[in-house]
Amino acid sequence: MSPPAPALPLTAISHFQRFRLRRDGLAGRIALALLLSIGCAAALIALAGHNPLVAFAAIVEGAVGSPHQIGAALNRCTPYLLAGGGVAFCLRAGIINIGAEGQIAMGGAGAAAAAFAFSGAPPVLAILAALTGGVLAGATWAGLATAIHLGRNVHEVLATLLLNFIAILLVQQFLAGPLGQFGAGFLQSPLMPRETWLPRLAGFDAHPGFLIAIVAAAALSFVLWRTPFGFALRVAGSSRRAAAYAGFSLPRLTWGAMLIAGALAGLAGGIEVLGVHRRLIEGFSLGFGFKAVTVALLGAMEPLAVVPAALFVGLLESGSLAMQRQIGVPSALVTVIEGMTMLFVLAATVRRP
Amino acid sequence: MIEFLAASIRIATPLLLAALGGILSERAGVFAVGLEGMMLAGAFAATVGAWACGGAGMGIVLALVGGAAIGLAVAIVAVRFRADNMVTGLAVNILALGLTSYLMRILSGGGQPVSIHLTLLPALPIPGLADIPVIGPLLFTQPPLTYLTIVGCAALTLFLGRTQAGLILRATGENPEAVFASGANPLFVRMFAVVACGAVAGLGGAVLSLQQVGTFTDGMTSGRGYLALAALIVGRWTPWGAAAACLVFGAAEAFELRLQSFGVPVSSYIVQMAPYLIALAVLAGIGRSSRLPAAIGQPLHRES
Repeated sequence: MSPPAPALPLTAISHFQRFRLRRDGLAGRIALALLLSIGCAAALIALAGHNPLVAFAAIVEGAVGSPHQIGAALNRCTPYLLAGGGVAFCLRAGIINIGAEGQIAMGGAGAAAAAFAFSGAPPVLAILAALTGGVLAGATWAGLATAIHLGRNVHEVLATLLLNFIAILLVQQFLAGPLGQFGAGFLQSPLMPRETWLPRLAGFDAHPGFLIAIVAAAALSFVLWRTPFGFALRVAGSSRRAAAYAGFSLPRLTWGAMLIAGALAGLAGGIEVLGVHRRLIEGFSLGFGFKAVTVALLGAMEPLAVVPAALFVGLLESGSLAMQRQIGVPSALVTVIEGMTMLFVLAATVRRP
Repeated sequence: MIEFLAASIRIATPLLLAALGGILSERAGVFAVGLEGMMLAGAFAATVGAWACGGAGMGIVLALVGGAAIGLAVAIVAVRFRADNMVTGLAVNILALGLTSYLMRILSGGGQPVSIHLTLLPALPIPGLADIPVIGPLLFTQPPLTYLTIVGCAALTLFLGRTQAGLILRATGENPEAVFASGANPLFVRMFAVVACGAVAGLGGAVLSLQQVGTFTDGMTSGRGYLALAALIVGRWTPWGAAAACLVFGAAEAFELRLQSFGVPVSSYIVQMAPYLIALAVLAGIGRSSRLPAAIGQPLHRES
């Protein structure tokens, strides 16, 4: 038996950023990081002359105070859960995919295009077609990044980052052209055909996106922990050399993880368009992609743990406007908490050699 | 035509300052994804400093401090705690966006951002040189920070190529073990380089707020930090290369503004894509014989 040749030249392997967390006492470390960032937020609220406890209570009240608000909060969590799960999946294999923003944008555009193409179809079919359009568009965009990354040996962060900007401009171009609503004054598409709208639970305002996202997280967890592909991913994530020596094809693993992440981000974009806005709007994906990385880190790159992480970020954002309205603490505080949490989680969990 | 070139230079200036900072950081071996947050912090600190103290001087000092503070956060998390550079950069970008928006509103004491209107830094024609046709109005009739940028570009070239400290910085990005063996501390070099990167990029933010806009608005850098990152890649990690790339990006944006005013039926979105497409093309073209600093992004172990 001859030892399998490394699937990538060694230089390429060293170019992969190996992204590993210290997994001993991980939950405690992440909890500590969260506490620290909430402490910083409390200090900032006090700086503004408000009582931090009152402000936090207003956030909770604003997020889960009524069925309507719970629904809105769950809708808000959905893109974070889908995209964050995909990012976590990639991180687990040592691939840093920060292209969720562009993949969500393209997914939204793909879903909108498919929705218009299938207008008039029976509702279930139309929704399925539109969401498939989103999934395909997101996966295509992630595939493009992967092709550039593997084919031309470009660092995956740079490839995905640069493609984000291109995707956002491309969506604007679509909205200025074929997908746009003429004379709307700003860049948006006409309303989606009614049969492609995601249904909303009466009195609750939640669309089924959150359930889809939970199922997706469970599926990711299954793939990661119960399939040979997931095993190979985990091996590659902890040691590229070991994976290459064991005969796992690193390019195939990268393709697999990236396409799955792109498909999920595209689905998130499609759900945003069909379930929340019911049209394609310029900048609808703004910030989701980068915060998906926050969610993935907060969830320790574990697909099921990403669920509470996405809930945390989604509820925080959805409750922050109420806090601003009621007691005048600027809702930008939430962005501070997100950035701080990410920094603290990074500092507290990254593996030391 | 002169007007078009002048617009290109104006747009290129903040980009170039940020890119110069980024070169310091990346040549020392730390990816500079945090440029966006550093610029934003600099733009905010400059605005507030100039507003509170009634003079641009304080604004410039605070811009250096504000940018360096973000740089310090990156240095601690990415260098000291060995977290991934890129993800740390993203984190500080999110943090800077939130913190500057939050503080702008706190300063007004209410829910709205405090309203600040500064007089823009005026152009200072250099006597004698400003009268040269074409070059005079372009290069020698500029506001002070633009001169500083050009000087900074030359200074950084000299620093990296001709000084002992510059050699150590470059060596830290290529082979930190050798730096350690030579008696210097690569950990310290990297942290220092990242903090300096923050200060310089913060100055780039100050150009935006003090020289071009006259106030601070939420997320006003709107991706310029990432554009600067693209520029330093296109410029292959050299100051003059980055300057050329920034001018090309500036020209693309100035061209796009022209197109709009003339109503030419070329999509401005496609033109705006140019910098990112060029950066991708350059990266893909050099991928095989990558000129990226060899040890970039690789964490330093305790013993080195």
